[in-house]
Amino acid sequence: MKQENQNDVDYDEDDRPLVPRAGIIYGDIIYWGTIAGTFLVMIGSVVTFTTTNNFIDPAYLLSAVVDGKTVEDIWKGAEGVNQLPSGHWYLDQISTGNGLTMAGIAIGVFSVTPAIFASAFALYKDGQKLFGSIAVVAGLITIYAMMP
Amino acid sequence: MTSLLKRIPELTLLIVGTIVIYIAMGLLSEVNDTNILSADGAWALVVGSFLMSLVIAIVAVLGGVGGGVLYTPVMLGFTSIDSLLVRSTGLVVAMFSGLVSSGPFMRKGLADIRIVFYCAIPIVIGAMLGAQVAIGMAETMGEEGDAIVRLLLGLILVFIAVMFIMGGSKNEYPKPKHVDALSKKLHLQSSYHEESLNKTIHYKAVRALPGAILFLLVGFTGGFFGLGGGWAVVPVLNLVMAVPLKVSAASSGVLLAMGNAAAIWPYIMKGALIAVFAAPWMIGQVIGGILGAHILSKINAGFVRNILIVLLLLTSIKLISRGIEGYFGIDIPII
Repeated sequence: MKQENQNDVDYDEDDRPLVPRAGIIYGDIIYWGTIAGTFLVMIGSVVTFTTTNNFIDPAYLLSAVVDGKTVEDIWKGAEGVNQLPSGHWYLDQISTGNGLTMAGIAIGVFSVTPAIFASAFALYKDGQKLFGSIAVVAGLITIYAMMP
Repeated sequence: MTSLLKRIPELTLLIVGTIVIYIAMGLLSEVNDTNILSADGAWALVVGSFLMSLVIAIVAVLGGVGGGVLYTPVMLGFTSIDSLLVRSTGLVVAMFSGLVSSGPFMRKGLADIRIVFYCAIPIVIGAMLGAQVAIGMAETMGEEGDAIVRLLLGLILVFIAVMFIMGGSKNEYPKPKHVDALSKKLHLQSSYHEESLNKTIHYKAVRALPGAILFLLVGFTGGFFGLGGGWAVVPVLNLVMAVPLKVSAASSGVLLAMGNAAAIWPYIMKGALIAVFAAPWMIGQVIGGILGAHILSKINAGFVRNILIVLLLLTSIKLISRGIEGYFGIDIPII
């Protein structure tokens, strides 16, 4: 039964709204994607610190960061690299500590994209075509953002 | 705490995993000493970053802002780390607590998925533009660009602090008198169950167009400064679009995570995010984000908010002075 209280707030005493399926799907994909990415970052961090299997020496990287070197100087000064990366460089270095760590961060960030599309699909199925389409546009923009 | 760990087994795994990896990294380290940092110093930097990130995530959740608002200004004001690196890592700090809180907020029905998607378009476009401009500015303007960034960020912080001080005007259940044509067309209306009242609250979002324009600006500022934008999303949703405060707060984290996800790709692909430096900040945000959301009800958020205001004002003084020093080449003796 719909009523208004003293503060002029619309409320129902007995009608608990259903949580939208699109929202649950979106939230769950991101939640588990972020946690999966975090575990990969943990593994990458251990590999970076406890092995010599690295794309760039972590001692050099951390020292350069603390020393206030610019991004360009850091990459150009890195032994065996000497140039700025482009695109999804970590995919080529996935077996190294640096590559694994960056891939973990990227997975966490990327989880947003499938979550948006899965949520858009659920919105379409629930008859919410306008918001399904808006979600698809948002998803396409995030894909565009990750294009090299 | 024990019941929390039992209820969320993945949180237990994350905490145990973090402790194990940091012990392993300390004991089995293959990292060499350099002129700037010893092997122990490198380990301490990583563990210290994780602990700071954990504290920032909890304080940010309790204070109702994104972590980037604390991380980016403090690092730009008080360290010599390159401003582009600080801002890219700032986006990691700003987004990951929001990402991990998306699941619980959506499951509880607190975040409004339709409002999130509607506002996502301008915020994502703004964030991408902001990131591109930041990278372009770093490539072309060098130290002068850094000085301008510090100066502008200092002024923004003063504005945010003033906004917090005047923050009493927030409206828990706004009741708009007039619904504009666009909002009517979009059917931006929904309802959620308010646990504290044990009632279902119905609401209608309004001013869809001004809201979208403001979100474009919020996205740009977040992407450019690596601030995120939690400080601005809640006021825009609540005060401009008349969305209930609780729904605004929950939708804010989800929305920011989406906007920052778009903003961070240009930084990753240009090498402006250094994995070994950003990793502990990410892990701290994920664990702190889950913890902060669950201890929110047990701590006096007002006290945390006051600390936040003092911190923001102090940091703004340092940022403005460093900005003036860098841009005009004059020396301002401030610690």
